[in-house]
Order: sequence, then structure tokens, then C-alpha cells
Amino acid sequence: MPKIEVPENIFFHLLGKKMTDDELVDIFPVAKAELDGHDKENSVIKIELNDTNRPDLWSAAGVARALKCYESGVIPHYDFFSTADDEKPSDGRMVIDDESAIGIRDYSIGFAARGKTVDNDLLVNLIQSQEKLCTNFGRKRKTIAMGIYRSELIKYPVHYAAVDPDKTKFVPLGMDEELSLREICAKHPKGKEYGHIVSSFPRFPYLYDDNGDTLSFPPVINSARIGAVEIGDSDFFIEVSGPILDDLLLAVSILACDMSDMGFEILPVKCRFAKDTPYGREITVPYYFQKPATASLELVHHKLGEELSAEECIKALQKMGVHAAVSGEEITIQVPEYRNDFLHGVDIVEDIMIGHGLASFAPVMPADFTIGRLSPVEEFSRKVKGILVGLGFQEMMYNYLGSRREYIDNMHVTGDDAVFIANPMSENYEVIRPSVLPCLLESESVSGHAVYPHNIFEIGKITVKDAEDNSGTRTIDSLGFFSSNVAVGYNDAASYINTLMYFLRKDYTLSEAGDDPRFIPGRAAAIIYKGEKVGVFGETHPQVLESWGCSMPSIMAEIDLDKLMM
Amino acid sequence: MDIDVKNLHPLEVKLLRYVNAGEDITEERIANGLGYKTGQCNQAFSWLSAKGCLEEVSRTKRTIYELTDTGRAMQKEGLPAERIYSFLKDNGPHAMPEIASALSLEKSDVGSAFGLLSSKGSLKMNDERKAEIAGEIADEVKIQRSILDKAAAASFLDESSLSDEEKKAIAPLSKKRGASSSPFRIQEREDVVYHLTADGEKTKDAVIKANITGEEFGVLTPQMIQTGAWKNGTFRPYGINAPTSRLIPGRRNAYSEYLQWVKDKLISLGFEEFDGPLVENEFWNGDALFMPQFHSARDIHDVYYVKDPVHAKQIDEPWLSQVAATHENGWQTGSRGWGYTFDHEFTRRQVLRSQGTVLSAHQLTKAHVPGKYFGVVRCFRYDQVDATHGADFYQTEGIVIGKDVNLKNLLGLLKMFAEEIAGAEEVKYVPGYFPFTEPSIEVHIKHPVLGWFELGGSGIFRPEVTEPLGIKEPVLAWGLGIDRMALMHLGLNDLRELFTPDIESVRTRRGN
Repeated sequence: MPKIEVPENIFFHLLGKKMTDDELVDIFPVAKAELDGHDKENSVIKIELNDTNRPDLWSAAGVARALKCYESGVIPHYDFFSTADDEKPSDGRMVIDDESAIGIRDYSIGFAARGKTVDNDLLVNLIQSQEKLCTNFGRKRKTIAMGIYRSELIKYPVHYAAVDPDKTKFVPLGMDEELSLREICAKHPKGKEYGHIVSSFPRFPYLYDDNGDTLSFPPVINSARIGAVEIGDSDFFIEVSGPILDDLLLAVSILACDMSDMGFEILPVKCRFAKDTPYGREITVPYYFQKPATASLELVHHKLGEELSAEECIKALQKMGVHAAVSGEEITIQVPEYRNDFLHGVDIVEDIMIGHGLASFAPVMPADFTIGRLSPVEEFSRKVKGILVGLGFQEMMYNYLGSRREYIDNMHVTGDDAVFIANPMSENYEVIRPSVLPCLLESESVSGHAVYPHNIFEIGKITVKDAEDNSGTRTIDSLGFFSSNVAVGYNDAASYINTLMYFLRKDYTLSEAGDDPRFIPGRAAAIIYKGEKVGVFGETHPQVLESWGCSMPSIMAEIDLDKLMM
Repeated sequence: MDIDVKNLHPLEVKLLRYVNAGEDITEERIANGLGYKTGQCNQAFSWLSAKGCLEEVSRTKRTIYELTDTGRAMQKEGLPAERIYSFLKDNGPHAMPEIASALSLEKSDVGSAFGLLSSKGSLKMNDERKAEIAGEIADEVKIQRSILDKAAAASFLDESSLSDEEKKAIAPLSKKRGASSSPFRIQEREDVVYHLTADGEKTKDAVIKANITGEEFGVLTPQMIQTGAWKNGTFRPYGINAPTSRLIPGRRNAYSEYLQWVKDKLISLGFEEFDGPLVENEFWNGDALFMPQFHSARDIHDVYYVKDPVHAKQIDEPWLSQVAATHENGWQTGSRGWGYTFDHEFTRRQVLRSQGTVLSAHQLTKAHVPGKYFGVVRCFRYDQVDATHGADFYQTEGIVIGKDVNLKNLLGLLKMFAEEIAGAEEVKYVPGYFPFTEPSIEVHIKHPVLGWFELGGSGIFRPEVTEPLGIKEPVLAWGLGIDRMALMHLGLNDLRELFTPDIESVRTRRGN
């Protein structure tokens, strides 16, 4: 979930009033936001945003806009958006995408802003909005990278192309020397972090002005001159690059609306693409690209369980910043410039729900009669647990992920049937347990201080390879039990098994366990039920006990309950 | 000190009843008066001293001479000197070896006895080198005889009771160590004298008042029942607050019991349990839930991938085609879809189930309408393991399918969970966000102990989730954060503790 930190003064200025923490806690849910903290010393409000499909809310301006609109019912109007039919003047500002970037990072678009001198708070806030969009919405700059530049240094048009990474050089932000694009990937901190996005291509994206001065190496780093925005600047060019045009248009719209709310004048920029797009070859940005969305009144009534009138729906949507009209049974909305999250009518329904006020919907119990029922394995497991508890065993519960050392090496097995994780976070959690027994032995190894005998068991899941299954694996509901004490032996294990099977009404036979390194040879048996091996038990091999650092003799058993249930 | 007289041992009771304030209490007295053996005396003294009923008033060291087996035989058969004197008196002069052989004495013993008797003029060696009577038997021998006789009557002699002559006479007959061949063993003894304390007097009074004699029955034996012997006495009352011994029972795990309780609650509310394998694929883990394949929660850093096999063999139709089309363009769901090209290889990639909702999606393909389903299922999350994050953990999830279920029913359902399962005092609903539900609701509750917290998330499944899986009817989906309540229930504050391997900790853990 994105979290933002906003200076109080900026937030309350955007909101148009001051609010107490309690008031914020009450109103925040309409923007799916939570007050995450309030650092009174530094006058910073911390906000957590829960809607990962609403990047417009991941900024102070976005949250303030949603709250203000909810309270006033007045939808903000932004006059700088061009449409297919209405192109705003761009006064010579232009970005030209070169076809060399196609297939590498297809688009670069931008807009300019001026009229407000940035101070420290504003600059930090602007960079935070940029970062949230690029990191969370733009998947760590993969699909959206954004640069902010000093507009007065730029000679338009700005050119976007893919260039030779070894021949193209400039001084990157944060450094003094000129480096090639490839050198930046290797040496610059941002190059190390983001260079991998483009480094597999023969040419790298590059942004420069009509004088040939570098703006940036998207998505990695700005230049040290045009790309070095500082406190006191007031004229900016904002550029966004990436492979998905709609995402770029949305990111630009969000930032333009935010900056407009903060008092900037937004200056459109003409963008010429190197390939055909649904909006043509040339558009003026910010550009309103969203199509109207619809939902039937019937859908609203059916989902919400409340016969809201057309007027109530329109009013509710208005509080959510959405223009709506109802014609017959159909609600049609005009999607706000900074949103693109209306995929289905149900998305409109939710806005109506929030706008109308969740508290106004009274809880009603579902009326359908249904029968409650445990899963067969849960029912069977409860029987087994009852018997084992009666036999004096303590039920345990374990994690299912562990290390090769615990699950395989210490057990002296090959581990051929174990299911490993391809991307373990650490070697402590690199394999799903193929058996309950290592878990029981871990208990033994850490419980030398506990009074003997140690009689423990667990019923839980294990996973082993199984070529016949669609997944190549099988998850098994498994019973494992373990008993350690002076002079415990095979006969004890056999007696436990016999007692368990008697009360479960399972007729079984035993056969030689064969070559199982976990048990003392000749003191282990396989349990055969309905002609199939369902389990194994016997005296724990001292080599296993030694590996676990245990010195008390023990017996152990494991049974496949899925097979035993049949 | 408060003493529960019912807790006193019979040895203590009888002793207390036997003694009075101001009297000297010694082992000798108790042994003689109550018939206690030395060990019993010591037990009674040490227990009563520890309870403050007795105090030591003096401790005296003394030396005693204890008659050995040799000494006892000598007392009966005579001292060597006595026997030699009497033999010569009856049989006339004999040579030394003859005497030794006739009396079965060691030659050295005969030699030393003759030495003593001749020096006192009782015997003499004649010209034929035979011993013969010369006078009366020596006084020393008479004294030794009297010592032996005295010792035989008392079993030991106190050094303080001997005269100087007697001390002199006993010396050659006594040894400290290796004394078995000597008539006397020398021993050092300590005499301890106790007095009854004020507490002791009080306790004695209480014993008398409670009519406890120390002769009460202890353990009831089968013989006592068979013979009816129990009718002839009373039973010693036991102290009901005596410390108990620790028992280690076979027991359920407290966390597992809590989860069972949650399951039973849900069963009672009409839900049917579902379950499934730990290894899933991207299709069910994300695609079927309408999470776009590029969604940030599906990153390599958020899900565990299975190393081998990397891919599932296949994804069942028609689900695969319908879900893929829904992602691309909305299919027949009325959605515009996510507008990207669905990756048919990625969808088969195998992962460890990362959310319980996966099983709800599976359930849709086999659900009855109306239907209510739930699962308490293990999930895996790519997180650093700490007090609030486990590598694997339980999620409690479920769905409600019905022709007309709606938001108000969802709120009703959440209210029921809040009250029945969490014991909530107040319930608050706020809009939430989940990729697979719209609308989405979070339920916050005011818990009597924990205060306000988020109990769970819920919503109405998006048509993009239900319709490609064959469900036309609305589906309410919910998940509850059970672990937080489980920790409180068990008095823990670290999630890792729920799965501890420590046997002692599990044995002693209990729910509220």
C-alpha cells in the first residue's frame, strides 16, 4: 500500500481548511485512506492509501481533492486538457518521439508548468508524488518514468530517441564528469538501480532538446544541468516515458491536476508519436483520453440492495468528483481526468456506495438456508487427534517452510521428492516440508529441558513431488507422531499404531520398511492399508538423532491420512 | 508461623503430643518413649525444627565405648587372662603352646595375658618353663571383667561414667578403627537437646484441639477394605492445600483448538469447509481473481515460485480461455478488461498459495447456489520473518453465493462475524480495496480488550472473477484476521510463537 508524508501547511492549504486528527480519521475512508500518523514536531501528516488502482490519490493534492469534493459536492474543473476535438495552444512547446525508441520504450510525452516558485516543502512533495507514480503505478519505473526539468533552459522541440549507449555522453545529476549511458548504468547509483530496465537493448532511450542539450537518460537519470531542479525555480517541463500510452497519459493528467491544485499554470505540450495510436499520431498533452462509462440503475439496486433513485445516484457520484447523467435506466458518467479505474459498472456502483454514505446501508442477514459442514479430512483428523491425546500425546503445530538442512540433510534422506522454492528469501525457508517428522525432531532438539517422556504429534500438510499430478506435486494431509524416553522402542511404536488403527476401524498389515535411513535397520515397518503403503514407523536411527543433536532414544511414525481415510 | 496441623506427619504429631514446654527433648528420650528409630527421630526433629516448633538448646560431644561382637563373646566366654588363670588353676602347670592350643587362643594373646598376670604376681614361669599359679588373679583383670559386664548390660559405655582405673583398663581393649577384633569400638557422639518453642506449643495445642493423635490411618489399602480394618480407626485428614505434583497430560495444541473453535463457529453459521493443495499456479493464485499479470503484488518479490516443476501441465478449460479473454477485453462480463495480452505461459507458473481467496476461486467452479463456504488455510507470503510476519500463516476466508445477495447482506454477514467470532462491542464499516471485489468493505471492530482494529476485508466479487468461472449470481467474499485474536486468546504477542517447536512452551500454553 502506498504511504505518503505531507507537510501540514501544504495539505491544509490544498484542503482549504484545517482539520483535527479525529476529523481526518472520520473523513479519510471516503478516499480509502488511513491516518498513519501525525508527526506534530515536524508538522507532517502520514497517510496510507489502500486503493492500488487509484494513483490519483497517492499525493497530498489527490487526497485533498477527494475530501474537498466529498464535503462540498463541487467537482473541480481543469481547463488545460485537450481532446481529439479541442486542442489547447502549445505555443511551440513540443516533444518529438523518434521511431528508434519503438520496441525499447515507445513513448515520451510531457507538459510544462509555471507560475509558482518552489520552496523546500513543495519540491519534496512534488518529488514524492513523482516517485509514488513511478514506483507503485509505474512498477519501479518499468512502465512509467518521470523527469522534471528547468523549462527555461530548454529549446523546444524536445527530442526522444534511442541512441548508441557508448557514444552518447552527458554529465548525470549527482556527478561531475561526463559518462556514457552504459557507464551511467555501471557507475551511477540510479544506473545500478534502474539500468536493468533498458540494458538488454542495443540502444538506450535518450531525451535532448533542439540544441542537443541533454534532458535525461530515461528511465535512469536526469542531466546535471537541465535536469537539476532547485528551490527557487518556477518554470518546469515534466516528461513521462514508458511503453503503455494510457498509463503515461494518466500519470501526466494526475501530476498536471496536482500541480494546478498547488497553484501552477499548466502549459500544454504537443507530442508527436513515432507510430499510430488510438488517439492519432499527434496529440496535445495533458490529453483527456477516457471514454464515458455506464451502469444500469438495476445493477446499482442489485449490488447495493437499496432502491436508490437516479437523483440520489447522481448526487452520490458528484461527491466522488464524477459527473453523471441518467437516461432511462442507464447511468452514464464522465470519468474524471485523473482517473482510469472504471472497468465495469460495478466500479460506478462502488463510487455511488461511498458517495451515498456507507453508514446509510443497514446490515441485513442473508436469507438463504445452507448446511454447515466440515471437510472430510478435518472430521477424520479430529478422530485421530482424540485417540492420540488419549494416548498421552501433545499436539504440536509447525511452519511448513524450512531449510534443506532440517528437512533433508538431518534426516539423511536424498530429498528427491521435496519441493523447493525457486526464489527463497533465505535458506531458512527454501523448501516445503516433505514430511512432518523433521518438525517433530526439531521439537526434540530444542526441548531437552522439558520433562520426559516427550510424546508429541502433528496433523498437517506436507508436499512431495508426484509426476502424475497436474502440478507435479501432491499435498498430503499427514499425521506424524514421536515419542522419546529411556528405553522406548519398536514395540511401543507398534502398540501405538495398533491402538490407533483399532479405534479408527482400519485393518492393516505390516511389511519390512526396507532401506529407510531415518530408522534403525530391522526396527521399522511400513503400514499397508488396502494393498497400499500408507505410512511408516520404527525406532529413530541414531545417525538422525545425532544430526539433530538429540541424545534420547525415540520412535516415530508418519501416516498419509488422505489414503487412510479411503 | 501458621501451621496446618493436618499437614503434619504422624511422627511429628506423636512427638508433639509426647513433649511439654521446658522439657529436654533428646533422641534417647523419644526413642525410649515413642519407640522411634534413630532415623525417625532425626526426621521428626528436622521437620519440626524447620517449622519452628523445636529449637536446639545444646549440642554436646562425647566418647562412648561400644561392645563389638568380639567383646560380647569375650564377656560370655571370659577374657584370655581369666581363661588362662582358670585353666592353670584346674589343670596344673602347662607350657605356653599347650595353653594356646587347649584354649584355642592365639599365641600372642596368651603371651600378652601371661605378661600382665605374671607382672602382678598372679602367675609365674616354673623351672620346667611351664606357667603355674602364683597368687590371686590381678585387679586389672577384675576391672576389665566388670567393664565388660557393665557394657553387656547397657550395650555401650560412656567415657564419663568410667573411673580413672576403668579408663586405664579399657584402653587396651578398645580401637577407633578396625575394631572388630577388639572388644570395644570407640565412637564420638553428639547429643542434641531440643526444647519446644512457643510456636511448638501452639502447634501442640492445635494438634490436641483437632484431636489428631498420629495414629490415624494413612493410605487406605485394599486389605483394609477387605478385612474391614478401616472401621477400627479414623483417617488422617490431608492438607487440601498441600503442593500438587505436576502431571503432563496428552493435550491438544491451544492454537489448533482456537482454529477448531473458529471452524465450529462457521459451521454453526451454515458454512461448508473447503481445502486445497499448497502448490498453486499463477492462474488460480492471481489470474482467476482478475489481478492483472503485471500487478505489483504478483512480482517475484511477493510470491514464492516453485523450482521444479516450474509450470503446471495445464489449466482446465473453459476457465482458462474465459479468464484470459476477461483480462484482455472483458469477455462477456460487461467489463472493458485490463487491455493487455494474456500470457499463457506465465499463467501456468507454479507458486505457493499466497492468499486464501485462491480457494474461494476454486470453489466457484464447483459451488452450489445458494451456498456458503469457508476455509482456514495456510498461505505463504514473501516477507521477512518477524513478530508480525510469518513465512507461512493461516488465513480464514470464505464466500456466500445467492441469487440476491448484496451489500446489505455483506454488512449483515460481517456484523455476525464481528459479534459471534470476535465478541465485538461495536462495528464500523469503511470502504476498502481488493483487486477482486467491488465494492470492497473493511470491517473494524471495537474489541473489549484490543480496542478498535481491522477484523477483516470483504466485498462482492467482481463479475470479472465470477462469470468466467461459471457463476452468474453475486458472490460475497470475506476474509478475517484471526491471528490477532488468536494471539490475544493465547496471551502471546509474537506470531512466531504460534508455531513454536518448544515442547515445554506448548505443554503449558492455554487459551483464555
